[in-house]
Amino acid sequence: MRQGESVLQRKITLGDLLDTESFTEVVKGFVELYRVGIKVFDDKGSKLADIKIGNGDFCGYVFSFPEGRRRCTATVGRVKDGPVALSHGARLPVVESDLEPMAKGMVTVSCFTGLRYLILPIRWEGDVLGRVVFGPFLPEDLKDFPPASLTEIADGLDVGNSRALVEKVRRAPESTIARVMLHFGQLLQTMLFAGQKMFLTTQLHIEATLEQNRDLEERNRKLEDANVRLKELDRMKSAFLATVSHELRTPLTSIIGYSEMLAEGLAGALNDEQVDYVRTIMEKGETLLKLISSILDISQIEAGKVRLNFEPMDAQELVSSSVSSVKPQATKKGVSLEAKMPSTMPQVLGDRDRLRQVVVNLLANAVKFTPKGGKVSATLTEVMHQPDLNAPGYRIIIEDSGVGIAADQFDKIFQSFYQVDSSSTREYGGAGIGLAIVKSFVEGHGGVVRVASEVGHGSRFTLILPVTPSLQTQVQITPPVTALQVPVDDRF
Amino acid sequence: MEVTVQLNHAQRELTVKIVYYGPGLSGKTTNLQMIHQRTLPEVRGRLLTVETHDDRTLFFDLLPVFFSTASGFKVKVKLFTVPGQVIHNATRRIVLQGADAVAFIADSRRSAAPENNAYWKNLVENMRENGLDPAQVPVVIQYNKRDLPDTKTDAEIEETRKKGKEPVVGAIAIRGVGVLETLFSVLQVAYRNIDERAGLSKNIGLTEREFLTQVFNNIDTSGTELEKVFPPRKGQGSATS
Repeated sequence: MRQGESVLQRKITLGDLLDTESFTEVVKGFVELYRVGIKVFDDKGSKLADIKIGNGDFCGYVFSFPEGRRRCTATVGRVKDGPVALSHGARLPVVESDLEPMAKGMVTVSCFTGLRYLILPIRWEGDVLGRVVFGPFLPEDLKDFPPASLTEIADGLDVGNSRALVEKVRRAPESTIARVMLHFGQLLQTMLFAGQKMFLTTQLHIEATLEQNRDLEERNRKLEDANVRLKELDRMKSAFLATVSHELRTPLTSIIGYSEMLAEGLAGALNDEQVDYVRTIMEKGETLLKLISSILDISQIEAGKVRLNFEPMDAQELVSSSVSSVKPQATKKGVSLEAKMPSTMPQVLGDRDRLRQVVVNLLANAVKFTPKGGKVSATLTEVMHQPDLNAPGYRIIIEDSGVGIAADQFDKIFQSFYQVDSSSTREYGGAGIGLAIVKSFVEGHGGVVRVASEVGHGSRFTLILPVTPSLQTQVQITPPVTALQVPVDDRF
Repeated sequence: MEVTVQLNHAQRELTVKIVYYGPGLSGKTTNLQMIHQRTLPEVRGRLLTVETHDDRTLFFDLLPVFFSTASGFKVKVKLFTVPGQVIHNATRRIVLQGADAVAFIADSRRSAAPENNAYWKNLVENMRENGLDPAQVPVVIQYNKRDLPDTKTDAEIEETRKKGKEPVVGAIAIRGVGVLETLFSVLQVAYRNIDERAGLSKNIGLTEREFLTQVFNNIDTSGTELEKVFPPRKGQGSATS
C-alpha cells in the first residue's frame, strides 16, 4: 500500500520554507542598510541567520570581565530561548500607533549594558515557527551611559573606552527599529509563502512520481499473474486436445482397417454396391484421420511438446518426394505440377519429416485452391546468404495460379483454425490449421514464411530456411487481460 | 482502519482536513477562492495554488483556516482541492490521504453525469487505496453551475439525494452561491466524524456549535443562507467585492 506519510500531513518547519543561502543574503542586505544586527531562529532554537554589525568591539570588551560574561550569556539566552511574551524581563515595545496591530506579539528585552533587543515571533498559519531578533541597538531614549548595571560588573571597567566603543552601535529610537523590524517581518511572510509553495510542490511532485511508479509496478504484477494464468489455461487446452485426438484416432484406425479388409473381400465376397459403400467409408475415414492428425500436431506444438529432430538431409529429395505425393491429386484435378531444382545443392540440417509435411501441406493447399487447367510449382533455390535470417540459407517457393488471398488476410491465415471464408456454405473444406503448423515448423527451424498474393492471380509462399538451424523456443504472446474492478453504483 | 484524526494532546492542537474532490473544471478551486475572499485575514493563511499555463490545478490548492477554542486548543482546518485532470490520479490519491471529510463538487449539467460518476468511483477507489473506509469518510455533494443551460432540475437533484446519505447543496460557485453552505455542511460532517472517534466535546470541550461558530464568525456570510445564524460583523460586507 502507500509508503509513508505525505508532506501534506507533516508539520512544516522554518527550515523547510527558507532557502538558507538566499535568505542569509536578504538578511545581510537589511543589516547593511539599517545598521542593526539580525538573528533568525526556528522554534527549536536553531539559527537560520545571524548577521552582526557594530556591536562586536563593545560586547567583546564587556565579555572580557567574568561578571560581564555571565550577564551577557544570560541576556543572549533570554533573547534566543526565552518566551516571546511579556515575562522574564520583556516588555511591550514602543511603536507608533499606526503599527500597533501589526506589532502584536513583539517584545523588547533590555541588556544590562543599556543596549536593547526587539523580538518578533514568526507566525505561520496560526503556528509560531520561530523568532526574529533585532539588535543590539543603542536606544535614543537612554540618557545615562554607561548605566549602573554595566559599571557595577567590575571596578576596572574603563568608562571612556566603553563610551568610545558603544558609538559604533546603531543609535536610534526604539520605534524606528520596530518599524524596520515589521517591514522585515512582512518581507519574511512573502518569502515564507514563496518557500512553502516551492517546498510543497517539489515534495508533492516527488511523491506523485513515486506513487505513479508504485501504481505501474502493481499493474505489471497483475498483468504477469494474468499472463501466467492464461499460459496455464492454454497449456491445459492443448493437453486436452492432444488427449482427445489420440482417443479419436485409435478407434478410427480400426474402422479404416476393418473397412479395408471388407473391401478386399477378406471376410467374403461383396457385391459392387457394397464395395462402393465400404470404399466411401474408407475414404472418409482417411480424411477424418488426416484432420485429427493435424489437430494433434497443432495441439502438440501449442503445448510445447514438439521436439524437432535435426539431421543432415537432402533438400532436393525432400521437394521431389513431396511433389510426387501430391501428384495424384493434381492429376485428378487437371492442375499441372512441376518441381524446379538448382544445379547443385549441398546437404542441409533439418527435420526431414516435419519439413516434408510443410511442403506437402503447401502443395496440397495450392492444388486445392487452383482451378482446373491451372499451374502449381515447387522451386528449390541454391544456398546463399539470406538477409531475412542473416545467415546462409535456401528457399522453397510454392507458387500457384489459383484464387489468391487478400492482403489483409496475410497475417490471419497463419492462426490456428482460421479460414479466409468461414461461412457454412464455403467452397473449400479443411479445418484451417495447416498453415499454423507450417509456420510453427518453419520457425522451429529458425526460418521464416513469406506470403505474396493477389486475389484472382494466385499465391506464392516462400519458405526461407537456414542451412544450419539453431534450436529456438517459440515466444508466445498472450493478450493482456484487464483486472477485475469492484463495481460501484452510479451516484449521479 | 487508520486513525486519521490529527489530535495532538501534547501540543493541544487539532488538525481537520477537508478535501474538495471532483471532475476537472467542476469548480473546486473556485470554491476555495470564494472562501478565501470572504474570510478575515486574521484566521486564514494565503491561498496556495499551483496552476498550469491554462489555469488547471497542477498539484492542489490549500487554504488554511485556524483559531483557538475557548479552552485554549489550537484548531487548524486545512481545505485542499485535488487536480481534476485524469492523469493526476496519483496526486489526487496523495492529497486525499487522511481526509476527515470530502466535498464532492459535481457539474450539474446533464452531459456531465458520466464524468461525475467516474470521479465518484475514483474517489471510492482512492479512499480504499489509502486505507480509508469509504463508509467512514463523510462526503457532501455540491451540485455546482446551477446557472448553466441543460442542468438537472431540482426534482432530479432531489432524486440523487435519495440515492445516498450524503447532504446535497446546489451552488453557483463563481458567484459565491452555495459555497459557504457547502463549507458549513462539510465542516459539520467532519466535526461529527472526528467527534465520534476522538470525542471532541468530551475530551477537549469543543462542541459542534463552537467549532462552526469559531469558523463562521470570521467569514462574511452576508447574502447567504448562513447570514441569520452567523451574522456578518460590521464592515465585513466589503470583503465580497
